[in-house]
Amino acid sequence: MDGADAAMSRLVRKHRVQRTLAWLMAPFWVPLAALVLRLGFGYRIAEHAAVRAEFRRIRSDSSAPLLICANHLTLIDSFVIAWALAPAWTYAIHFDSMPWNTPEETNFANTLRNRLLVYLAKCIPIKRGGTREDVAEVLARVGYLLGRGEIALLFPEGGRSRTGRISEEKLAWGVGRIVAALAGCRVLCVYMRGDQQATWSEYPARGDVMRVSLACIEPKSDARGVRRTRDLVEQIIGELGRMEVEHFSRHPGLPPRAAEPAAMVETGGGVHGGQ
Amino acid sequence: MNQAEVQERVVKILTPWVKNEAALKSVSAETNILDDLKVNSARLVDVVIAFEDEFDIEIEDEDVDSVNTVGDAVGLISSKLG
Repeated sequence: MDGADAAMSRLVRKHRVQRTLAWLMAPFWVPLAALVLRLGFGYRIAEHAAVRAEFRRIRSDSSAPLLICANHLTLIDSFVIAWALAPAWTYAIHFDSMPWNTPEETNFANTLRNRLLVYLAKCIPIKRGGTREDVAEVLARVGYLLGRGEIALLFPEGGRSRTGRISEEKLAWGVGRIVAALAGCRVLCVYMRGDQQATWSEYPARGDVMRVSLACIEPKSDARGVRRTRDLVEQIIGELGRMEVEHFSRHPGLPPRAAEPAAMVETGGGVHGGQ
Repeated sequence: MNQAEVQERVVKILTPWVKNEAALKSVSAETNILDDLKVNSARLVDVVIAFEDEFDIEIEDEDVDSVNTVGDAVGLISSKLG
């Protein structure tokens, strides 16, 4: 067995163990997380039945890999998005439809307890600005799980947008790399914003109403190497930018605008895969 | 093109993205691009594309995984130049 095979074999083993433990714990923490979001924070998903029906339709439309790419404004976006896309019982039955996340290690996996929690919550922590090898391992893991029909959620902005609008400042080109490596990979772009969410923050405001829109695209590029990767991630961020414009045109009274929309697809992407 | 010439051009390409300008003065093959020069990791793709343009080579995503230092970049580019 050569080095690459051995590394892949390790990755598969690691994935199987984490997936099994997370699956065993899911009946406990998934409903609890949903309750905390609904009753603890008082969040609501606007038109949640339509959002969930659309997610079901997209999932059943094709067996091609499905990567979720979302805008990023708060620390708990990934939990809120998972809750918005399907009810807790769905994840108990169709565990692989619950997205894996790649939270930033220093925010979420900084203590032993937190590391354990994110491990059981289908998270693969990534260190922003970590070594190329570490980032490559996480990207390989995400590519592997997508290839076997599981779903992952990544934030192509590479972190919470400091402008409160879709930002290309820290673009995560690892997202493009994953898409490039998976034939026919579909990208479910999710634009989510609370009615009170003027800009980035740690948490959405208590009692906020989340508006969620979905658009499934299949990015393509004739370019090669890193240019292809950049091209793909720019298509994704471009779609999220379009969805943002649509969001504000549909809801012109919501929330106070912190900044004008960022110019799209003029700058390059980032090499990191972290969020 | 020898390694010293490649390194000189690599440093020139990196310069606009370097946040720690003091580190540029003592740059060597061991200088870490992210940790020492403080190049934003999100901007590395632009750096790599600039390498491609400057040296007329093509760099794959996987190639970039082993690039941590200026010397790694020089080695990668030299191997592509043959």
